[in-house]
Amino acid sequence: MPAWLAVLLSRLASVFRRRQLDEDFDQEVRAHLDLFVDENIRRGMTPDAARRAAVVRFGGVTQLAEQQRDQRGLPLVETAIQDLRYAARILRKSPAFTAVAVLTLALGIGATTGMFSVVHAVLLRPLPFAEPDRLVRIFEINPLKRWTRNSAAPANYVDWQKQSTVFTEIAAYNGVDDKGRSRFDLFVSGAGEPQRVRGLGVSANLFRVLGVAPSRGRLFRDEENLEGAPRTVIISHGLWQSLFGGDPAIVGKQVSLSGRSYEIVGVMPPEFAFPGRDVQVWLPPGYRPSVFVQLRRPHWLSVVARLRPGVTIEQARSEMNTIAARLEKTYPDTNTQMGVRLEWFHDSLAYDTSSALLILLSAVGVLFVIVCVNLANLQLGRAVSRSRELAIRQALGAGRGRIVRQLLTEGLVLSALGGALGLVVAFSARAALARYAPDVVPVFADVRLDRAVILFNLGLSVAAPILFALMPALGSARSDTLQDRSDSVSHKRSIRDLLVACEVALSIVLVVGAGLLVRSLLLLNRVDPGFNPSRVVAFNLLFPGARYGTDEKALHAIEEVERRLQSIPGVAAVGATSTLALRGFTYTSDATVEGRAADDYERELRHISVSPGYFRALGTRLVAGRWLDDLDRPPKPPVTLVNESLARKYFRGAGASGKRISFTKGYEKPEWLTIVGVVADVKQDGLNKPAEPESYVPLAQQTQNSTTFVVRGIDDPALLLGAVREQIRGVDKDLALTDATSLDGLVSDSLGDQKFRTSLLSGFALLALFLAALGVYGVLAFFVSQRTREIGVRLALGASPRRLFGMVVGQGMRAVVAGAAVGLGGAYAAGHAIDALLFGVKSADAPTYAAAAAILAVVAAAACALPAWKATRVDPLVALRTE
Amino acid sequence: MPKADILQGTLDLMVLQTLDAMGPLHGYGIARRIEQVSDDVLQLNQGTIYASLLRLQQRRWISSSWGTSENNRKAKFYAITKAGRKQLAAEAENWNRVAGVIGRLLRLAQE
Repeated sequence: MPAWLAVLLSRLASVFRRRQLDEDFDQEVRAHLDLFVDENIRRGMTPDAARRAAVVRFGGVTQLAEQQRDQRGLPLVETAIQDLRYAARILRKSPAFTAVAVLTLALGIGATTGMFSVVHAVLLRPLPFAEPDRLVRIFEINPLKRWTRNSAAPANYVDWQKQSTVFTEIAAYNGVDDKGRSRFDLFVSGAGEPQRVRGLGVSANLFRVLGVAPSRGRLFRDEENLEGAPRTVIISHGLWQSLFGGDPAIVGKQVSLSGRSYEIVGVMPPEFAFPGRDVQVWLPPGYRPSVFVQLRRPHWLSVVARLRPGVTIEQARSEMNTIAARLEKTYPDTNTQMGVRLEWFHDSLAYDTSSALLILLSAVGVLFVIVCVNLANLQLGRAVSRSRELAIRQALGAGRGRIVRQLLTEGLVLSALGGALGLVVAFSARAALARYAPDVVPVFADVRLDRAVILFNLGLSVAAPILFALMPALGSARSDTLQDRSDSVSHKRSIRDLLVACEVALSIVLVVGAGLLVRSLLLLNRVDPGFNPSRVVAFNLLFPGARYGTDEKALHAIEEVERRLQSIPGVAAVGATSTLALRGFTYTSDATVEGRAADDYERELRHISVSPGYFRALGTRLVAGRWLDDLDRPPKPPVTLVNESLARKYFRGAGASGKRISFTKGYEKPEWLTIVGVVADVKQDGLNKPAEPESYVPLAQQTQNSTTFVVRGIDDPALLLGAVREQIRGVDKDLALTDATSLDGLVSDSLGDQKFRTSLLSGFALLALFLAALGVYGVLAFFVSQRTREIGVRLALGASPRRLFGMVVGQGMRAVVAGAAVGLGGAYAAGHAIDALLFGVKSADAPTYAAAAAILAVVAAAACALPAWKATRVDPLVALRTE
Repeated sequence: MPKADILQGTLDLMVLQTLDAMGPLHGYGIARRIEQVSDDVLQLNQGTIYASLLRLQQRRWISSSWGTSENNRKAKFYAITKAGRKQLAAEAENWNRVAGVIGRLLRLAQE
């Protein structure tokens, strides 16, 4: 055994046998002296002289014993244990303080830890791929079409692959919406109800670009990209477990997806997710190369690439810009002004959420600081009442460092308890988040309490006492005599006023922030979605291409479903659409407007297929012209409805009816759609986004296999869902009804993010206000109790209770007003940070500031009123007698 | 006769050597023995011997047990262990080497 280890073990062992060892040593020293004395006597000294000589030659016994104790045990640990014991005793003696401290710390640390766990999952934790910081997303941008981060056209993607040298490889995928959620539904049919799985179409090289390996089986081979290759699929660990019961011989088995049979060639490991955790199957597109390389108009590929070692993203950008410019020159018809945008892949996934998350994290950080300041304030109050105890300890020889350590230990005990409870808070917050706000966290992020989060929690638990215990401790250790109490009391009072002002300032920042979000939410709630959501349900049906291969078959099924639903008693109206409102997912195409110059309209135009009954079921107004009807189908000349935005932007209000638009640019025989009517704008991307120009073509002209049905009931249509399911089974028992929702729910869900943020920030603000009020109350109550005598004198001399009340309240409000002024200034200065989260209000919204100030004034005044009222109740006689 | 200060490590070495030569001894015996051997050149503060004894014990180079002294007093006796002997041999060799070097240096300086 190495000597140092032996020493450590020996020291550790002696910590637990201190008394025994002390006695041992004592006895040993006595024996030593006795032996010495014996010898001295033998040499002829008198007993007294013999003992004296022995003691002198031996040296200081007490000193030696002390030194032995230090050398023997672990002095640091021993005093720490002593401090801990003492702290526990002190904290048990004031349970109210301890409870407030632990609970506020638990909320402060818990909320911060919880928020951090989200931020960590979204922004910090590396993606589960090889060298994830070498992956970039490539978007197409086009000022002409107002594209800032668009998917790429297949032919452009192929050209990038051919011409670029900065990437090891470029891969593509498709089937996700702009939030990264899968929009590619497949149905596993077999026994019972068909089950929906979320899919993603991927190029065969995608997994290679990500640098991941399957846990079973193999990755795709390049030839599996192509049409005609055997159909293959790679499944997620989750699906393997849930659908196949973890079958160890899964690789090589066939699975039927939406009516087609696929061979399972691989299973991904549990931690793998791409791009989101919702995707369960990855399958190559099976495209025909000759067609694929021609597709420069439809833009549906999400492109991800891996930078070659040593290449910077700037170098990649510059090369990609060169390539884009070359393509623009070669294909002016499709690529005019078509540029590229490179983003780090991780950043591209977190694009929508990072600013909101950082704002919430800062808010919760502010709350944490308020918690600490509040505790510092409480500690200072206690330090005054404990100054006697501390002075006695100092008089008995405790050094300043020892006292500071003692107080810090008390703080650490509090925050360790608070931190542990905080972990519970964070854990339940995470569960609540998953349950009530599943859309808040982007779908790629896996929020969990891992090592980093727990370390963060520990860090906060250590940081908190440094903030709230160290300062009061240093202050306490300074007043080191029993006399100068009055002096230190007034000194502490000004520190406490400062702390209260801080609390007020910080909390008003949160109140202003919450106020702005609340106002935004109220305004959002008033936004007209363009339809009447009450008593309407919607659900999705996919008519698998394997069975409904032709438009006629699909259309026939859709119309059959509509007819059957219409026949259910209690149904008022039924409609069908390719794209339901507020889903944030639309099909677009290059549009031409007859008689207008190409730069006079936005080329990229949304088109949505609807059945004639759709708008009636939705409750959308017709602004001009006529509705679609059952006769609007081939062979009649094609028609379309447009929304008000389109009518306004393309035709500037001059009647749009009768004008013609086309989505067949570049085709040999353009097909013109005659506008027959204008409908009110329906919100598509969210209540907070303006409506975009949209064209509504009859489903009979353009059929979609994935169709959303809308059913308006006479009463609550949710009660009809049973009958609805039955009718659909009557059409085809293998059709699966998915994404059923009431339109009220749809509208409310579309505000999910905003509601969540608003309630979270409001919660923080309320807590902050409460703590600030507690601080104000604490300082003032203390002030009154210290000045009972003075107040008694004033009352005895005839001061009116009302004036006294005013005086005390004034005392308390001084710090509040100062803090509020600073806080409002700070909120104004930092306000622009929150602009991105606001709707309809500016961050410098005067009414919100006024309201925040008013709320704070009321709360603070209430906190002042109680001590002030107590002051007026002071009995002069009692007050004068007590001191 | 001038008193000599002694280094901490030196004291440890002397204690080990004493125990190796004399067999088990109590603290007083060790202190006296060192004083005698040095012809009272080294006048220890006898208490300091205990820091050394604790140090050696913690390193498991010596062991201790209670026993009875020659004049019938209860005392703690220390004995060198196997590890202690190894350490002593190493330390002694090291000491001799250093002493040799220093001696040579001093001789050179005088010439």
